Amino acid sequence: MEPMDIVGKSKEDASLPKATMTKIIKEMLPPDVRVARDAQDLLIECCVEFINLISSESNEVCNRVEKRTIAPEHVLKALEVLGFGEYIEEVYAAYEQHKIETMQDSLKGGKWSNGAEMTEEEAVAEQQRMFAEARARMNGGAVAPKQPDAEPSLES
Amino acid sequence: MRQARTYSGILSGGISGRTGPHLLPLARIKKIMKKSGDDVKMISGEAPIVFSKACELFIEELTQRSWMVTMRGKRRTLNKEDVTSAVIATDIFDFLLNLVSDTGNSVEAAPLEMDISKSS
Repeated sequence: MEPMDIVGKSKEDASLPKATMTKIIKEMLPPDVRVARDAQDLLIECCVEFINLISSESNEVCNRVEKRTIAPEHVLKALEVLGFGEYIEEVYAAYEQHKIETMQDSLKGGKWSNGAEMTEEEAVAEQQRMFAEARARMNGGAVAPKQPDAEPSLES
Repeated sequence: MRQARTYSGILSGGISGRTGPHLLPLARIKKIMKKSGDDVKMISGEAPIVFSKACELFIEELTQRSWMVTMRGKRRTLNKEDVTSAVIATDIFDFLLNLVSDTGNSVEAAPLEMDISKSS
């Protein structure tokens, strides 16, 4: 299977993976509903166009605040400006979640490699705990990974 | 090899019925972003993540609106014209008007509000 779907327009050398897109589309619909192939293709094209639109605006926002790198907050501002303000909350939540996840990955070491399976409840509780810890850490400004000795060595 | 992450373990099979996050490939998104203009600045590593979610929400909304058109037509197959109608009927999707009319469709797809005047 081709990793990239050429959609037929010269600008779109890069498109989005059909499988992932199809999944998202189907999840929105009742199970017995079918989506015509050309409708799927059109939805994907629309999504690419959406990225183009938001990218351009993000670029503008970034210019205006005289920064050199497009950062998430520029994208969020762009969404608002273009009328997609109601996406902002969910988008931001997903972004935060991803940051936590990334932090968890860098914490992988002792905690997860014992191989024992947790029940879903335990896993949820553990995740909540780590979430709160990470948030506290972020709020405190210290980004250092947790030391096994658990002695915060901040100078005071 | 990475341990299966708690995160994906919890979400799959669903609290809300969703089968987990569908992160669109970040590299692909970044590529599209770079092509979107001539003088695109550097893109932070985190920006594509935000885009990924925004795209998901966008597709969901467009799909849902298209589906409403399908339902009104009492059909079970969502087709291209339904997507076109949804785009036309939604203000914030105006940027897509060129795209949907470019696809060789007859652009006679009237906005939904205007249907009434046609019946005789």
